Amino acid sequence: MRTLLAFLAAAIAGCATVVQPPGPFPEPAPLPEPAARTENLAIAGLMDGARSDAAAGRLTNAAASLERALRIEPRNPRLWQELARVRLKQGDYVQAESTAARSNSWAGGDNQLRAENWRLIAQARDARGDAEGAKAALEAAERQR
Amino acid sequence: MFDRAKFWRYARYTILTVALLAAGFTLYLDIRVRSEFEGRRFALPARIYARPLELHAGLRIAQIDVVRELQEAGYGQGPREGDPGWFANDNDWLEVAVRPFVFWDGLQPAKRVRVAFEGGAVKAVQDAEGRDLPLARLEPLAIGGIYPANNEDRVLVRLSEVPKHLVQALVANEDRNFYAHHGFDLRGIARAALSFLRLKGLQGGSTLTQQLVKNFFLTPERTLSRKITELFMAVLLEIHYDKDEILETYLNEIYLGQDRDRAIHGVGLASLYYFGKTVEHLTLAESALLVGMVKGPTFYDPFRNPERALERRNLVLRETKDRGFATMEEYSKARAASLGVNQKAAMGTSPHPAFLDLVHRQLRRDYDEADLRSEGLRVFTTLDPRVQSAAERVLERKLAQFDRGKIFGDPGLEGAVVVTDTQSGEVQALVGGRDVRYRGFNRALDAARPVGSLLKPAIYLTALADPAHYTLVTPVDDGPFVWKSRGAPDWEPTNYDKTFHGAVPLRTALAHSYNAATARLGTDIGVERVLATIKRLGIEREMQPYASTLLGAVDLSPLEVAQLYQTIASGGFRTPLRAIREVTTQDGRPLKRYALAVEQAFPPEPMYLITAAMQGVVREGTAQSLKNWLPPETAVAGKTGTTTEQRDAWFAGFTGDRLGIVWIGYDDNRAARLSGAGAALPVWGEMMAALAPEPLALPKPDGIENVLIDPESGLRADFACSGAVELPFAQGSAPVARAPCASAVGVVVEQVKQQAKNWVQRLFGR
Repeated sequence: MRTLLAFLAAAIAGCATVVQPPGPFPEPAPLPEPAARTENLAIAGLMDGARSDAAAGRLTNAAASLERALRIEPRNPRLWQELARVRLKQGDYVQAESTAARSNSWAGGDNQLRAENWRLIAQARDARGDAEGAKAALEAAERQR
Repeated sequence: MFDRAKFWRYARYTILTVALLAAGFTLYLDIRVRSEFEGRRFALPARIYARPLELHAGLRIAQIDVVRELQEAGYGQGPREGDPGWFANDNDWLEVAVRPFVFWDGLQPAKRVRVAFEGGAVKAVQDAEGRDLPLARLEPLAIGGIYPANNEDRVLVRLSEVPKHLVQALVANEDRNFYAHHGFDLRGIARAALSFLRLKGLQGGSTLTQQLVKNFFLTPERTLSRKITELFMAVLLEIHYDKDEILETYLNEIYLGQDRDRAIHGVGLASLYYFGKTVEHLTLAESALLVGMVKGPTFYDPFRNPERALERRNLVLRETKDRGFATMEEYSKARAASLGVNQKAAMGTSPHPAFLDLVHRQLRRDYDEADLRSEGLRVFTTLDPRVQSAAERVLERKLAQFDRGKIFGDPGLEGAVVVTDTQSGEVQALVGGRDVRYRGFNRALDAARPVGSLLKPAIYLTALADPAHYTLVTPVDDGPFVWKSRGAPDWEPTNYDKTFHGAVPLRTALAHSYNAATARLGTDIGVERVLATIKRLGIEREMQPYASTLLGAVDLSPLEVAQLYQTIASGGFRTPLRAIREVTTQDGRPLKRYALAVEQAFPPEPMYLITAAMQGVVREGTAQSLKNWLPPETAVAGKTGTTTEQRDAWFAGFTGDRLGIVWIGYDDNRAARLSGAGAALPVWGEMMAALAPEPLALPKPDGIENVLIDPESGLRADFACSGAVELPFAQGSAPVARAPCASAVGVVVEQVKQQAKNWVQRLFGR
């Protein structure tokens, strides 16, 4: 009986699913899944180079490599995030924050990536002496879970 | 009476005076020679490069476009032994011997690259051994320079880089006793005199040292006193400097041709200019051609007078052989070779003067003009040659076409184009007028023209940023509108089609660019608020807080318009437009990077909404005709602009990857009788279509939901409403009320659905 009822309910729910007419205002074409596109060899190479440059303190070169990669994949949120990280190390806190925000704008449903961006924003705000803003950003990072 | 003693006294005085004067003159010349020769560094132009083409698997570019760029960079077709700078190709493959190049991040050595193409895209990039390469950066095109006086251009070389046979051919033909004489050559002078007397014409007789002195220190007059000064200085030069120093300077100084307004100096630049290779790779035949041109670069110009140049070259070759600098075998081989010159389109100081102008202005913020013209800085810019040539080609052709349909005489219509990258703000192309090679009035930067409806998106953006009051379906009144303000005449905007449309949804008012509705909306919101939005979008110019400003009674240059639309195209991130990436010293030491900078000027939600509304302009509004060039899937967002009496025609629009601004009008402000949609849009459409644009797809922000709307009532629709459209709304701002067309069934179904859900949940205790 229960199964039958469940089946019925499901059937009704199924019937009631509104079929959306193809309006003249289409949802923008689906984006190539951004995070998954990192597997481009060129991007991977530039990203590796940027990371080792950053680790060695060659921050300008690291930023240049990331910008080069961004010209190839301007919508890759990981590249924007990496650039934000470099800006933070360079002490350019304003750019660090807005670059992390740019990463967020391409992050789609990747909550981990978003949380990390918010943490970068928190660090940038903290470094600028904006304790309250940093706290708000950390809370935003928590909300991404 | 002849006084002997007196005579000798005077004679002695005279001789002493002359000797002193001569000594003083010599001393003066000596100081000049030494200080100028030593202190003299050749003034080297700042050299400007386009962006390098970076090939990687997946890049959408056709083989032909890569080949074209290689050819423009002076790469020859077909493999060459030993030296890079060539390419070879078949249908699917392109092999390139990339020349070494010093980039901002260091030297990239010469390398072989194999590139596979498939379906208009790069399929694979490999090295010579067939291993996959992640990325191959080609040499960037040189697109001009910022030149010293007289537009002298040169590439400095060291004597050790110059092939021996070039030096030998030079010495054999210009100054046989160079290594033996002391600055002048009596035998040479005697020979010259002899041949003059034999009516064989006036031959040089000047040593290389004298020629150098003449070019270096003196004006080209031919007087006896000049000749004597030249002789003195030549001797002094020889006293102070050794033969190699003199020869090296000579090789860098010598004038070897003219490329429009650019003077080609030195063998370093000449080998690049004529043969597309660096000097160390010159063959004997090529060297002989250059040596032959020393006598008269215009007379023996191998491009214009190839036969004369060939004859001259062979003469030089014979002389070289006769002096024992070439074997019979070398001589015959060189004689048999073709001229080997590599003709490119004349470039002059730049083929893209308008873009260079922008670069120059951006450079002047950080560098002295004198340094730019002499220090040999290397400037890496953002110009994309493919985009630039599409912009030039289409603008030229379309303007010629529009002119034919006009009764107005000269001067004809003018235009300007700016193309940028939507994400980075890099300027990829800039055209400042229909004569694209003309270095003159740069309309893209300096023509401030009324922008008309191009400001409307700023008004609608201001509205949409306030979702409690405005959504895409909020009705706005397009009825007659009068704006009264004290001290100013009444302002009564009318519509382009001379009718009023009553209450229309906000998105329709923008799509069809209704003036009355927009003026009412703008004044309701407040002119000051709209101006604040315009400022945040990146316009620095002060604007008058008049209601008429709303409808574009404001003068902006195409570049300023590009900056404003850039912020919209990048989703609310303001990115300063940049034309320069990096600057290095002449030997490649990095001086400055112009880093990518972004600043979030607007939250993502209103930007998403305004972009959707601007896509509506193209899909169903004033820019519908764009479908003649681009398929609807490209989902372009744009805006047309037409000013009073159709003096200015504008189109501003963006795809996923590029933003383009087109302006068309007359310099003298005549009524052009062309609309934004009729004139500027076709240029935009044809140009973008040639560049295979990426579709525009903004990421949907969290705060946006899509809701099905009945266009008739502007209320919530469901499956029962035919012609319902799905529209984006800021979370919670969509209309709550149901449209009349929404079926009773729909309501019931919704309720049943909800009840069933509750029931099932209760049933399973969840």
